[in-house]
Amino acid sequence: MSRTYISRHPLDDLLPLEPGIRAVDHLDIPRSSAIVSVMAMDGEEASVTAGLAASGVVSIRFTGPGELLAVSQSETPESLHRNLSLLLAETAYIVDQSDGRVVFRLSGPNVRRLLAKGIATDLHPAMFEIGASSNVLCGHISVNLARTGENEFELIVMRSFAVALFDDLKVMGREFDLSAGFSVRV
Amino acid sequence: MASLIHCPHCGVRPKEEFSIRGDASLVRPDPEASDEAWNDYVHIRSNPRGRYREHWQHGAGCRRWLVVERDTFTHEVFSVTDAAIVKREGSR
Amino acid sequence: MTAYRLASGGLTDRSAPLDFRFDGRNLTGFSGDTLASALLANDQLLVGRSFKYHRPRGIVTAGPSEPNALVTIGKGADSDPNTKATVAELYSGLDARSQNRFPSLKYDIGALNGLLSPFLGAGFYYKTFMWPAAFWEKVYEPIIRKAAGLGRAVLERDPQAYEKCWAHCDLLVVGSGPTGLMAALTAGRAGLRVILADEDFRLGGSLLGETARIGDASAQDFAERGLAELRSLPNVTMMPRTTVFGWYDDNVFGAVERMQKHVALPQAKLPVERLWRIIAKRALLATGAEERPLVFGGNDKPGVMMAGAMRTYANRFGVAAGKSVAIFSNGSAGYRTAADLAAHGVDIAAIIDSRADGSDRAPDGVRVIRSASVIDTKGRQRVAGVVVERSGFEQTIACDAIGMSGGWNPIIHLACQRGAKAVWSEDLKTFLAPDVGNGLVVAGAAAGRYTLAGCLKDGAEKAAALVADLGFSAVSHTAPAVEGEIDPSFTALWYSPGAKAKAFVDFQNDVHVKDIGLALREGFGHVEHAKRYTTNGMATDQGKLSGINATGLLAAMQGISPADVGTTTFRPFYTPVAFGALAGTSRDEHAAPVRKSPLHGWAQRHGAVFVDSGLWFRPAYFSRGGEKTWRESTDREVRNVRENAGLCDVSTLGKIEIFGPDAAEFLNRLYCNPFLKLPVGKARYGLMLREDGMVYDDGTTSRLSHEHFVMTTTTALASGVMSHMEYCAQVHWPDLKVRFCSSTDQWAQMAIAGPKARLILQALVEDDISDAAFPFLAAGAVTLKGGLKARLFRISFSGELAYELAVPAGLGEAVADAIMEEGRAHGICAYGLEALNVLRIEKGHVTHAEFDGRVTPDDAGFGRMVSAQKPDFIGKRLSTRYGLTAADRMQMVGLKPVETDQHIRAGAHLLREGAKPSTLNDQGYVSSACFSPTLGHDIALAFLKSGRERYGERVVVWDKLAGAETVAEICNPVFVDPGNTKLNS
Repeated sequence: MSRTYISRHPLDDLLPLEPGIRAVDHLDIPRSSAIVSVMAMDGEEASVTAGLAASGVVSIRFTGPGELLAVSQSETPESLHRNLSLLLAETAYIVDQSDGRVVFRLSGPNVRRLLAKGIATDLHPAMFEIGASSNVLCGHISVNLARTGENEFELIVMRSFAVALFDDLKVMGREFDLSAGFSVRV
Repeated sequence: MASLIHCPHCGVRPKEEFSIRGDASLVRPDPEASDEAWNDYVHIRSNPRGRYREHWQHGAGCRRWLVVERDTFTHEVFSVTDAAIVKREGSR
Repeated sequence: MTAYRLASGGLTDRSAPLDFRFDGRNLTGFSGDTLASALLANDQLLVGRSFKYHRPRGIVTAGPSEPNALVTIGKGADSDPNTKATVAELYSGLDARSQNRFPSLKYDIGALNGLLSPFLGAGFYYKTFMWPAAFWEKVYEPIIRKAAGLGRAVLERDPQAYEKCWAHCDLLVVGSGPTGLMAALTAGRAGLRVILADEDFRLGGSLLGETARIGDASAQDFAERGLAELRSLPNVTMMPRTTVFGWYDDNVFGAVERMQKHVALPQAKLPVERLWRIIAKRALLATGAEERPLVFGGNDKPGVMMAGAMRTYANRFGVAAGKSVAIFSNGSAGYRTAADLAAHGVDIAAIIDSRADGSDRAPDGVRVIRSASVIDTKGRQRVAGVVVERSGFEQTIACDAIGMSGGWNPIIHLACQRGAKAVWSEDLKTFLAPDVGNGLVVAGAAAGRYTLAGCLKDGAEKAAALVADLGFSAVSHTAPAVEGEIDPSFTALWYSPGAKAKAFVDFQNDVHVKDIGLALREGFGHVEHAKRYTTNGMATDQGKLSGINATGLLAAMQGISPADVGTTTFRPFYTPVAFGALAGTSRDEHAAPVRKSPLHGWAQRHGAVFVDSGLWFRPAYFSRGGEKTWRESTDREVRNVRENAGLCDVSTLGKIEIFGPDAAEFLNRLYCNPFLKLPVGKARYGLMLREDGMVYDDGTTSRLSHEHFVMTTTTALASGVMSHMEYCAQVHWPDLKVRFCSSTDQWAQMAIAGPKARLILQALVEDDISDAAFPFLAAGAVTLKGGLKARLFRISFSGELAYELAVPAGLGEAVADAIMEEGRAHGICAYGLEALNVLRIEKGHVTHAEFDGRVTPDDAGFGRMVSAQKPDFIGKRLSTRYGLTAADRMQMVGLKPVETDQHIRAGAHLLREGAKPSTLNDQGYVSSACFSPTLGHDIALAFLKSGRERYGERVVVWDKLAGAETVAEICNPVFVDPGNTKLNS
């Protein structure tokens, strides 16, 4: 007997299926993303980063020296894992984290003020530029934070903390009437 | 309320992102070293006032172990270095 | 107009009246009033009773140092006790009550304490209530507690929301008076990121009550212009209603913003208070100076007020402190108040000047008495006159308020909070801030520059220096000229001699001059001892008014300089901060994050009752219809696993992916047992030791390819083991070629255990998982029918034929559903932690209940696993210590009650039969115990001296807590299937 298994998102029961009214400050949650941990072999740190940048298919999130997350919204977890394993076969180790991480995208004029309620890092654009990323503590939860635009940030959190972080972000966003929903599929 | 550590990989971060393990001047002895050397390494700790080198891990950040040199009395931090770099330089 | 509201003047909005209540009376004030200014305007000068003697007390200040005017605002759970009326912003509907009085403010029974005051000197409580000891707790303390104390904390849950926030700036300016305003303008114009914080609801500080003119404008207009410019600068953040209460390491400042303390009905989406942690490259303290009270007889009567506060009430709030005011001063500031009050039409009864001469000009027609001393005051609930002594002659001057001005104390708390001591200035007769480097610079009146012109200049200049220091270029500035100001210099006067009534030093704690003298006589003359002995400075105002006078008196009484006495220690918080603000949102369900397994929803659907396990919520058991207790559910689950099959969520176990040519070598050094030769496709149980030779954690590690391993850790130590591995890799052996990362969250992992496990799984897995193809301890990638890639491990915690199947987390619920569906025909059930625990105890498997940090591998029966061949591993060297290999160490054994209906509980101790319970006779302890449904009676794992030699012996299981003694037989800890036939089936 052949089976198909339906994947669940940890926020499935907490968000409406259909997108609701979007406030100026919005939390957008992609239903699925392809994410891998990339760990460069000794001495290959620079070539790994350069190789990934040249491939053009992934966003790179810094997590630690020689370690990063590669994120893609267009590839499937399997294809990303396979492609990067080939691309970086001699230079890095690849671990699929697509199911182990959840992506939160915050956008709007007040998101910096919102994030300042949990994150101690200075998010002034001169201090944390577009494209910058780093692991930070947001309240009690460790997340990978990236600036994807002047007023756009992406938080990547471990799956088991996704509901807790979602609850926290809702409280942090209460004064801005933050709206939240799954990404609209293109 | 707060204090800050300058992580060499991540920048200025609040102490809540770190955990402290203790004396960074201790070096794990050779397995054949004397009982005394091992006893000192595992059990004997000083509690100095003043300059002190400690191992801190940036657990909520890059997860690297760091050697933080600070003053235990004033909390002034003099330097923060990746522990692997310290070890490699020390063994050279 | 009310009795004390001036006909005109002030910055309150007289077109916006506000209704409020005080002790049940309906009163009216104006927008822009504080509660104190509105109370004064309504002739409600009496606002509280003192702490010890219950003396009537009135408003003394117009700011945060207020010792007397503490009220409770709000009702029920929303009450805020000990709120200073002098800083509480008036709003429509404000409901305030006075404190520390019974039955009412006017008639207070506690005032009888005043008649006993000869006996209530400093140290009275310490000396009197010492004996008999038992009386302290039962008799004395409850009575004292009832009589003393200020506001009462409410016990209900605070319904309001609070939150915490981080902020960053180049320059934090604390205080928005002339100094702070000029500093913020200077830095803001130069392009710095500036935060300007002030505790007042209206920015401008002393400029709001100033009569001198600055340049071509009134002080108020000057402030308004400056503030308007600051508001127009995008790099400047203005924070009114924000008290910067603490200076911490690395120039982090703590501040509390009162966002909705000035509204009757707070908006639900906003916190009432917000706690800020401000990371500032530089900070400028422009906190101004506090006027010093004078210590004279009867100085605590309602109507005795700081002269500067009277000036503020008149100029800023349009309220007169009295109709006929006497001024007692040791400097020019008293004359300034007299001039401003006179200009508002208030009668000045007299100016009493402690100095012999001076060039200060009194208002026309006002009598000045020089070289004089105030020795008493008349009146009961309000001053009716002042008794003045000059050259041995006394006279009483009628008045209804007394303004006192004893000089100035720079407000330097923040600069002294990190250990540096305040420095005495002989010139200024006060303590100044120590030099604490350029991270925190003190300017203006806070630095002893008391003139308005001096403040404007100092603020601008010091900010300009900080601008340059940070590498910005300063915009040139010219300090505006000031017209019509008085230089408020003074001659120190610590005590006005000849007092005929108590001369108070600390109003809030009722400490008077004689108490300080007593402390000195009894050997408590050190300033810190005198503080504790007399309680001077220990009230909620923390000695803001009283501290300097206590130092001055201690110095004067000993004939030494105040420099040699020093100050007490300054500590955060500058003013009290609500616990709610310190907790922020970290309360209730947000106190700690909850981690949820990918199978959480699946478990919920099967009736799981969850239990906290660290941050995780894990199913304890799955309740089915009719089951009334956890034991019923657990027993059923255990039996079912032994007879059929069960599915248990083990996703919370830590999973770590380890790569590299040195991965095997790394594992070989981490574990006490060998890992170098683990074949690909195999799992191995591993024991990790601490460096002292005790067991740290256990788990299985599988080799998925030559250079790729996956390790599992216990749930409890998942993050600890990760951190330990990082320590080993980075600190001990950075040259090993190994990389690893956690994949705990990537996988939903489920244990499928029981004789039917293979039957059920084989229906779902494409690969051959027969015992021959996939024997015990096999591990590797498999494909589920339909193409899903998974990992399968043949490992068993229960002792049954068992597998652990890992699938990507998002598919966990779907796969678990499929297994349950497939297993239904075979009688599968979901089982939780309780059943898991019983199953492993029956099989003699260990957890952290056994590995409690005192247990070696040999103690737990793993002695032969420890590799003697390996040159090194963590814990190897100290494992061979004599104490860890002694023959009488406690070893793990099984226990079963001789009478099978008797119980054994974990934590009980073991004794030889007939031995008395004592530490000396202690033979060991029970680490785990349960009822075994398989055997039908209790079983236990225990650590017993030389236990493995003693199978068949009997011991007494002594449980003092339960009051039970059970005779048990010592046995092999493996109760079920010791031959492993089920495991290998």
